[in-house]
Amino acid sequence: MQQKLWAVLFGGVLAAAAGLFVVAPFIEGWWLPKNLCSFGPEVDHLFYLILAFTGFFYLLTEGIMVYAMWKYVARPGEKSAYTHGSHKLEMLWTVVPALILLFIAFAQVSAWSDIKYQSRMPAPDQVFELTARQFEWRFRYPTAEQNALMLKGWEKGKETDEAAAWQREPHADDIHLVNEVHTWKGPDKDHPTRVRFYLKSRDVIHSFFLPNMRIKQDALPGKVIPVWFDSGFADGNCHYDEKANTWVVDPDKVSQSELACAELCGWGHYKMRGIVYVHENKADYEKWLAHASAEEHRTKP
Amino acid sequence: MSSADHAHIATTHEHHELGFLRKYIFSEDHKIIGIQFMFSGIIMFFLGGLLALGVRTQLGWPHAEIPLLGQWLWPGNAGHRMPPEFYNMLFSMHASVMIFLVIIPLLTGAFGNFTIPLMIGAKDMAFPKLNMMSYWFMWPAFATLLASFFVDGGAAAAGWTSYPTLADVEFAAPNSGWGQRLWLIGLISIGVSSMAGSVNYITTIINMRAPGMTLFRMPMTIWAMFITAILQAMALPVLTVALILQLLDKTIGTCFFLPNWAPGQGGVSIGNYQTPPGGGQPLLWQHLFWFYSHPAVYIMILPAMGMVSDIIATFARKPIFGYRPMVYSLAGIAGLGFIVWGHHMFQSGMDPRLGTGFMIATIMIALPSAVKVFNWLGTLWGSNIHYTTPMLNALAFVSMFVIGGLSGIFMAATPVDIAIHDTYFIVGHLHYVLFMSSIFGIFAAIYYWFPKMFGRMMNDTWGKVHFVLTFLFSNGVFFPMHITGSRLHPRRYFDPTQYRFLDEVQGLNTFMSICAICLGLVQLIFLVNFAYSLFRGPKGGLNPWHSNTLEWTAPSPPPHGNFETPPVVYRGPYEYGSPESDKDYLPQTEPPRPGAAPATHAH
Repeated sequence: MQQKLWAVLFGGVLAAAAGLFVVAPFIEGWWLPKNLCSFGPEVDHLFYLILAFTGFFYLLTEGIMVYAMWKYVARPGEKSAYTHGSHKLEMLWTVVPALILLFIAFAQVSAWSDIKYQSRMPAPDQVFELTARQFEWRFRYPTAEQNALMLKGWEKGKETDEAAAWQREPHADDIHLVNEVHTWKGPDKDHPTRVRFYLKSRDVIHSFFLPNMRIKQDALPGKVIPVWFDSGFADGNCHYDEKANTWVVDPDKVSQSELACAELCGWGHYKMRGIVYVHENKADYEKWLAHASAEEHRTKP
Repeated sequence: MSSADHAHIATTHEHHELGFLRKYIFSEDHKIIGIQFMFSGIIMFFLGGLLALGVRTQLGWPHAEIPLLGQWLWPGNAGHRMPPEFYNMLFSMHASVMIFLVIIPLLTGAFGNFTIPLMIGAKDMAFPKLNMMSYWFMWPAFATLLASFFVDGGAAAAGWTSYPTLADVEFAAPNSGWGQRLWLIGLISIGVSSMAGSVNYITTIINMRAPGMTLFRMPMTIWAMFITAILQAMALPVLTVALILQLLDKTIGTCFFLPNWAPGQGGVSIGNYQTPPGGGQPLLWQHLFWFYSHPAVYIMILPAMGMVSDIIATFARKPIFGYRPMVYSLAGIAGLGFIVWGHHMFQSGMDPRLGTGFMIATIMIALPSAVKVFNWLGTLWGSNIHYTTPMLNALAFVSMFVIGGLSGIFMAATPVDIAIHDTYFIVGHLHYVLFMSSIFGIFAAIYYWFPKMFGRMMNDTWGKVHFVLTFLFSNGVFFPMHITGSRLHPRRYFDPTQYRFLDEVQGLNTFMSICAICLGLVQLIFLVNFAYSLFRGPKGGLNPWHSNTLEWTAPSPPPHGNFETPPVVYRGPYEYGSPESDKDYLPQTEPPRPGAAPATHAH
């Protein structure tokens, strides 16, 4: 009887582990951050799909194991069942998992290509350039007019020559900012503001990571990597603060508006924090843009 | 070793008694070399553990003064706090030590060396001198990696993956100067060591099996060591080349991994420093590195799988379920292991279309792993489980490997990986494979073969105390990482409290750190048990576990040359509970009863 306690120990620990996954989604701040991007639900659904399959096989295999540990404690004088295996069982537990794994694998393909394939990237509403360096994110925004110029004739998967040229050669009236992503809320859910940016690195490898947008992309020195996301489920999160003469993010929205670095880049890796500003609409964004431009070029707005 | 055993060696074997230096230090005996690997591995295990505790201390209490050590190490720092570059060094060296100086040397160096000749019935390895060299090439690595803590800037701090340009450019980090160079030199030396070992293992297993020891009568341990050695021999040269290229970048000014800032322009600028224009590729390093280091992940688990299979069959008193599928799945993991390295690079800027291919291969590698788990469960079903310390550790291996295997599928799925790449989810996953599986496998193997290695038994009660506490605390450290990982807590962060979205999981970080400190402390139980049993443990006799494999027919400890009479093998290694025998085991060397049908099992 005492020997059966081993099954209890294993069962207890394994059940506690499973239990943690059951309660965590209900505890504030212990689960996936609130999703704000229109491709986020696809990513999250695939996460839950894998969680469902792995959860099932976890309970199945660990359950069988704990049961066997409980049931087959050594009985003195007895021999164990003498068998070297079963061809049928081997076939069963090879073919069934193989089919499930293939299903899981192919279920991923479309989401991945939609998010990352350059040929699938939708025509954007906003373009900027982002250059990472130790230990900050340097943004270069085009003026509203330049932005419009670059978007004209942009088809899915095919950037315009204007945009490619702007990416190579900075314009004198570009707006340069550090650690601030600015975008705006689309007119409705079907028309989110699609952001397309050119990701570069000046020194070492960094990784652009917006937890709430489910987007992550390494920045490679020597390469220009196109990245896109949108803020389809985000509400406006910032307003103009007269006293500070700048835009500030609402305090209760800060925790869902953070930009992080996800690739070790040196001692200040943990400090490469940025903030995503989602303006109420395009007009608000352009108001901010004009303000930022005036600040940068030291003329009165 | 008692003096009686010395006398025994001298009388039964023709070769003369060796001096202490030749016998224990510059030994050509595979068992002594294995034990040397084991001792240095255990010492490094405690060093690697201390580094991990430094990491956990910072993560658990990011703003606290480090007691005692803080005043001594950083007298100038406000509040004697740990500097961030020191933290980076801690986790980089923790991983480097654990992977290259603990797990690989313990699994292949210690147990590969000890078990291969004994379990196939050979007198020694095919190339004893090469074997000695393989151990002694570990020492330059010990020297350089330990010395690197004391050089200007400190030891390597660019992660154990040492991605350029951070690791490649001296000015990118204080630790990317001599610390990184010594790291590279150390790893090259370990590569030579592993290469010498793997060539030896392959040759020995192919050429030196005892009469009757057909390939499909080999114990799973030997199959695992064989397949691991092939993996190592084929993948390691690539890492060695990559290490040499990075070392050239860092010494004579080549630009293998240093890109131009833009086509036709100069190199990258780091701070005020400009690298020379060269047109190299930082991604090239990642491809070369992972071409070895992904197979290395299997090098760090396959031998444990093999040993655990033998230990489970022994203490379940039942033949291993599906011996051939077990062998094929090992080979399947190893084969697929060569075409999955790109899954470390899904978000790296590699062409995402490659990611799709690597994803499918990676998800399919779960299949042979699943087959192994099902067969272990099949072995337990209808068995007679004896809960000894090695068996408990082996069972922990199986149950924890299930978690590590399943959690891997999340990262293998490219879209999900976008979210959880480089978060605590992967840290949890990799520790379930490398700590909770490999280390439990290593503990199982140490408790299991200790009586053969030293002729004495380890204390079973204290072994169980050590097991229970390790099992509880290690789950306490590593399981909550899946939760902080689901919160998308980035890894390698000196101070997670910088981010609002991580506010709520900081409590979990503290909890994990407390468990980690307890986990570190309970390893002292193992250390004391090990050291005490070495000298005072009760004698184990020839075959304390009533096991079938050949090593248990040799004296404990076996003399130089191993067997008094060369063994002859009549059957496979898993005839437990066979009706052919009155006992519940039937050693491989026991001749069949007259008239009994020879045991053939063609599954």
